[in-house]
Amino acid sequence: MLQAIDLHKKFKTKEAVHKVNMLLEAGESVGLLGPNGAGKSTTISMLSSLIMPTSGEVLWNNVSINKNPEALRKTLGVVPQEIALYPELSAKENLHFFGRIYGLKGQLLVERTEEILRKIGLSDRKNDIVKTFSGGMKRRLNIGAALLHNPSILIMDEPTVGIDPQSRAYILDTVKQLVEEGMTLLYTSHYMEEVELLCDKIYIMDQGEIIAHGTKETLKSLVSDNQTIELKAHVLSKGFEAALKKHFPTANIRKEDEILLITMPQNEEPLATIFAIAAENAVTITSAIVKVPSLEDVFLHLTGRALRD
Amino acid sequence: MLLSLIGKQMKMLLRNKQPLIILLVMPVVLITILSTALASVMNSEEEAAIQAKLVLIDESSWEQEEASIESFLKEGGVNGPALEALLQVFKSNDPIYILEESILDTKDISKYIAKENRQSTELDNLRKDKEIAGILVIPADFRFNYIKSAYFDEQETPDMDLFLSQENGIRASIIQSVLEEWQSGFTKSLALTKAGIPADGVMQNEQAVERIEQVLQGSERKIPASIYYTVGMLVMFALYIPTFLAGFALQEVQWKVYDRILLAGVPATLYAFSIFITGMIIALMQQVIILLYGKFVLGIDWIGLEGMTLIALSFSLFIGGLSALLTTLQLRTKSEGVANIFSGLVVSIFAFLGGSFFNIGDVSSLLANIGSFTPNGATMSAILAIQKGQLLEVIWSYMFTLYGWFVICILLSIVLFPKRGVTS
Repeated sequence: MLQAIDLHKKFKTKEAVHKVNMLLEAGESVGLLGPNGAGKSTTISMLSSLIMPTSGEVLWNNVSINKNPEALRKTLGVVPQEIALYPELSAKENLHFFGRIYGLKGQLLVERTEEILRKIGLSDRKNDIVKTFSGGMKRRLNIGAALLHNPSILIMDEPTVGIDPQSRAYILDTVKQLVEEGMTLLYTSHYMEEVELLCDKIYIMDQGEIIAHGTKETLKSLVSDNQTIELKAHVLSKGFEAALKKHFPTANIRKEDEILLITMPQNEEPLATIFAIAAENAVTITSAIVKVPSLEDVFLHLTGRALRD
Repeated sequence: MLLSLIGKQMKMLLRNKQPLIILLVMPVVLITILSTALASVMNSEEEAAIQAKLVLIDESSWEQEEASIESFLKEGGVNGPALEALLQVFKSNDPIYILEESILDTKDISKYIAKENRQSTELDNLRKDKEIAGILVIPADFRFNYIKSAYFDEQETPDMDLFLSQENGIRASIIQSVLEEWQSGFTKSLALTKAGIPADGVMQNEQAVERIEQVLQGSERKIPASIYYTVGMLVMFALYIPTFLAGFALQEVQWKVYDRILLAGVPATLYAFSIFITGMIIALMQQVIILLYGKFVLGIDWIGLEGMTLIALSFSLFIGGLSALLTTLQLRTKSEGVANIFSGLVVSIFAFLGGSFFNIGDVSSLLANIGSFTPNGATMSAILAIQKGQLLEVIWSYMFTLYGWFVICILLSIVLFPKRGVTS
């Protein structure tokens, strides 16, 4: 169990992190969501014992790591946002080096290296120099280097920044697999869909503070319990709109730029009824999208700003 | 763990072209250019310097003393053909003749000793001439007195006056050694003659040449351009090693690899120690490569292996300490500024003061004194002292300067190295 209690970090006059409280239970996957500059990386550095908090404490299994970071470090894997690899060395040489400094040697080091290379899909490129790799391959190796010593807790800081969709999907699949295998995960990103996909519990951070936390559902409920259906048709007749209003009296129905927006509680499943009414009114629906609140909406709701601003 | 860190740093260095060019290619190119370009200036000085000027003032002569010798023999009852035969023996064994004709005027010896015959009236002026390394004055009646002493035991061996220059130590030693060999030779020759054994070949110039070579080996040899610039460039370009290692360390911090190293449980002090050891190893490798280049390409005969090994190890120790200090300062300031200032400014100033480009002592003794306190200057002076053939004791003052720098670097590194991490 990793716990942050009232963490503060001040750099000269700037307070980067203010009163952050977090909890990661064993086997849990936790997301830390926030825009760039929110203080996520500083929080991660404190959680991983790399920098001392100005005040507050980090506990690993109820023991403070401020004075004794070794216990956590042995079992912790960190994937930094930067490509923390040696570009002049090959993939295998990089993994061997990181394995050795974690105390792996001999056959065990060889086996772990091969296993990690397979896991990240770089077995066929293991002897190539890292600087010749694509961005996605470097990101995968960056993750692999953190997994060599078989950690029980993994902290990932924006591990998919700046890579192609294919590599991103590969990385997300790999991380998902790790979570399914029981790895405790702290995943930071400003891509809300990644956090939504991977994490059970989410902390939302802005301007150095945790502004909300909970499960995805809890957070989304902060915004609204409603859903919005966006309808497009060849011709949206007034009769069709009137019929919808008659059938869904509590719904808010409005037309914006030739798109009909129907907002109603999430517990209703209206699509079959809407298509039936359209058929009765000779309306051909070309597109129907059901929109539920996203974490983006939650962030917008909490801060008045979009997450990626 | 330490070996992994050192191995990784070595790989980083060897797989980068820039460090290899600066640490090996540039010094080798500069050594070759400077040695060749300045060889005629520095090496011709050496040729001239090795020749000792000897002035011979001979106040004795056969012409003046033959009559006295003849009457001395007649008084002893020697007459007729026996007298003629004895005179012939004395003449052919005349030590002054042998000195001039069989030793000093031969091709082998005249390379080392330039003989000049002068008059005794010039003696006072000649003794003031700093160019003259030795003056041999053979007094009047020397030959006559010598014969009486050597063949008839009637008188003590007559003295000659030898004035040796105090300022031309090595040249005076050459003259002294040749004259000692000559004296010893004619004493032996006389003993053989008295015993009725032919003394041919006793006084040959080969022995004199051998003595000169012994003197030269036991004395300072001149430093040619090839040695001077090989040493000058060696001590200068070694100073770039710490800048590269400190640069790599800063990159490791910027890439967050350093965080990974710390998270793996590697103590920051062990990391700093690995930089120190790597700096030492690279400095030693660089010195060996450059010295071997000097030996096999420029034909330098490096002497004093014991002293050279001590200096190379001590200088490597300092380079290791400086690597640790520059790394510490770079990690403290989190910028390349320190290494840039060091490589761009400090190395040039140290190289200038230390005498890597030319002998700074020729310009200013004050600057030369300051230069001798720079680590590269002290090392260069120590190597050149060994190459001049000086004793090992001479280099200790330079070595203590170097060890002083080493201690300062290590203490500052220990105090200032960031122990926990460098993440901002």
